[in-house]
Amino acid sequence: MGLQENIREKGVLGAVAAQADDVFTRLTAGIDVGEFRRMMQGEPPGRPNPRLKPHSEGFLLHIKPTYYHESVTRFTHTYRLGLLSTYLFIVETITGILLMIWYAPSPERAYVDMILLLTNIPFGQFLRDMHRLGAEAMVAIVTLHMVRCYLTGSYKPPRQFTWFTGVLLLVMTLFLSFSGYLLPWDQLAFWAVTIGTSMAEAVPPAVVGETVNLLARGAPDIGANGLLRFYLLHVLFLPLLLILFFFVHYYKVVHFGISLPADEEEVGEDTANRVPADKRVYYLPDVLVDETSFLTVMTALLIVLTVFFFQAPLEHIANPQSTPLHTVAPWYFYWLQGLLKIADKFIAGVLLPGVLLVLLMAIPYLDYNPSRRGKDRKVAIVAGIVAGAVMIIWSWMGTPEYAVEGAPSVEIVQDVMPEEGSGLSREIGYKHLPLGVWRTDEEYDVHDHEFLELLHEFENSVDYYRRTDPDFNAPIGILTISQAQPSLKKLHWEITWFDAEGTPGNYEKSFWLHEDSLYWEQYGWKHLFLGQVADGWKSLSGALVGE
Amino acid sequence: MHRLYTRSPIAKIMWGILSSLVGIIVLLMVLVSENPRMEAQTINWEGRSIENGAKMYADNCVICHGPDGQGILGRGPGLNSYYFFTDTGRLRDVGWVGSLEDYVLLTISAGRPSKVESQWPEVMPTWDGKFGGPMRGDQVVDLAKFVMNWEESALAQTPEEDPFQPFEDVIKPMEFQNTAHILLSEEEQAAALEEYRARNVRSPQEIWTGEACFACHNLEERQVDLYGQNGPNFADLYERAGTRVEGMTAEEYVYESIVSPKAHVVETYENAGQMPQNFAEKLSEDEIQALVAWLLNPDREQ
Repeated sequence: MGLQENIREKGVLGAVAAQADDVFTRLTAGIDVGEFRRMMQGEPPGRPNPRLKPHSEGFLLHIKPTYYHESVTRFTHTYRLGLLSTYLFIVETITGILLMIWYAPSPERAYVDMILLLTNIPFGQFLRDMHRLGAEAMVAIVTLHMVRCYLTGSYKPPRQFTWFTGVLLLVMTLFLSFSGYLLPWDQLAFWAVTIGTSMAEAVPPAVVGETVNLLARGAPDIGANGLLRFYLLHVLFLPLLLILFFFVHYYKVVHFGISLPADEEEVGEDTANRVPADKRVYYLPDVLVDETSFLTVMTALLIVLTVFFFQAPLEHIANPQSTPLHTVAPWYFYWLQGLLKIADKFIAGVLLPGVLLVLLMAIPYLDYNPSRRGKDRKVAIVAGIVAGAVMIIWSWMGTPEYAVEGAPSVEIVQDVMPEEGSGLSREIGYKHLPLGVWRTDEEYDVHDHEFLELLHEFENSVDYYRRTDPDFNAPIGILTISQAQPSLKKLHWEITWFDAEGTPGNYEKSFWLHEDSLYWEQYGWKHLFLGQVADGWKSLSGALVGE
Repeated sequence: MHRLYTRSPIAKIMWGILSSLVGIIVLLMVLVSENPRMEAQTINWEGRSIENGAKMYADNCVICHGPDGQGILGRGPGLNSYYFFTDTGRLRDVGWVGSLEDYVLLTISAGRPSKVESQWPEVMPTWDGKFGGPMRGDQVVDLAKFVMNWEESALAQTPEEDPFQPFEDVIKPMEFQNTAHILLSEEEQAAALEEYRARNVRSPQEIWTGEACFACHNLEERQVDLYGQNGPNFADLYERAGTRVEGMTAEEYVYESIVSPKAHVVETYENAGQMPQNFAEKLSEDEIQALVAWLLNPDREQ
């Protein structure tokens, strides 16, 4: 109908309203304003259901099912973990692309770019923290998603292949997270990735392992080429691969429907796709509102956590010449690091993870029990819990707590003033470090509580190793604080002891601390809570260890 | 039982609106705190840079420049020194036009190119990997930041405290090198220098090579080597000089061309701006006069 005709018929206002309605209908791919109002008022759809149109006409919704079984829309059935994983991937993509603006993948630029991002870019630290937190959250949420599917038996027929692609997605998520690890080009990144890629070297025969290692690093050691390769893996190859497998995975999810709670169908049956009319919850509007509000809450949570509670670490610039005392893998690879401590590189780094991965992918084909009900799956559930517990124990073994004691003197200094990170000395900071010579075998009448705490910790640490190490007798710790330069103090740690035969030993290490250096989370709004959280954590872990 | 899941779309929409508000408010909080945060981060990373530099200094530089940058006699000059940090000190003496930090950066990176005219028996080695040294670029930057951090204590020194040791690579006599403390004004320093130069007159030949005139001008008619092609040829200067500008003798013309090179530019040499503009300050009156006479002498000795 022409515009003039329209105006003649409905008047100007009416014509404008009709035009607006038309535009609205186009944008929503088939929902007009009246239908939208009825939807929002909770009225049931007419027949045939006009709310199915966006699914058939619109691109964005064509992948979504038009309705769900009422039972699977309950929050406690899926916890929306798959949705949240996907959403976190989108968050990572957006923050990642923004971060790429200020980043160049070369050893000369990468670390400097990190500092420029933190010092000169408004919201730069926010973006970086959020990207890092989102990445770690994604690993956790994808894992939890897998645990949920395991516990509800959702991998059972006909969803074996869905589970298989899910495991692939988990592996890609891990690699995506890990490949991003190297990009800041700091000590943490460099050494974690050096160890990570060195596991590839253990693949037999030697020529294959070396080739794989060479391909990943671009040279015998990680350098400019390795950084570029990890960058391309991180921003291009792995995301594209993940997107591909995401669509395979999600197609299968939609195709078979989300598995119902096990009690609602007969053992061995799958009725997810046969939803009775009275059990249908339509995507428009109910599930859409549910998912949108859930993701909005999660976004707010992510922002709050990023701003107040989380800080992406940035250690010293990568230095191939100096291996840090305790190199740590990212937490989701602690289990692997733990394994590496008790077995050799090939078994722990290649064979066992490979076998575990194959087992994980093969679960649907190994588990012949047709029932998804908890009471019929006692073996599977106990096995799952045992596997989880073993993972946690291996992970604990991966932390420096387990079996990587250096010499006592080195560990003592690492306790009070580690090479990387803060430690109590840097936490209390420049102004709480009075000049002078401070010995652990003397009492001092100092009024600075924070400094007293440091001296106390120094004494405790020395005493702990005196009690536990027979080769560490009559130890004395001496801390000399001097003014190296204006606004720069030198902390000289010296430890003397006698070994079991009475031979004296001596260890010295110096650190410098500048007045303006903030090793503690004191930027923006983080100081509001992080200090308290750290104190709480310290007292909690102290109570647990029983010190 | 209180359930996490609520079926009411209104409650969900309220949750959505509430969290949007929380998100926006928190982002606004970040917005208002961004400037102080960036400032804190900037000085934080400066500070950490200085800390890294302190370690580099302790590991590599102490043996020649001393633990507190006081220098070690016969090995390396003091850096924590008034002479080193003041504008009228070291920078002016070596004729460096950039900042002190750049000078420090250059010296650490590329070392001192020669020890011919300096009294230090040890050559300052090159440190940056680019020049064959053992350090990475970022380490050199940190080290320079650490050296620059002495500024405050160096500028607070009295002449007695200044660990300055005279440099023999400077044309100035030693007694005038560390004059920043003794003399009050730049004029007095300049006067002292002028007086010194009057006592130590360089020959025209010394000026010709010392001030690198040969790089752009040729005394011979034919081309000897790569040098001397950027400026006018001086083989027939004694013939041309008097005819160049009306009312000017050959001596006046050459004199003016030395002290203000842009005054009378020879055709096809329009890039005369390359010639240093400060010969009036670098040479004494007597030296310029001698140089003019030498240049105009058809039988000059080289």
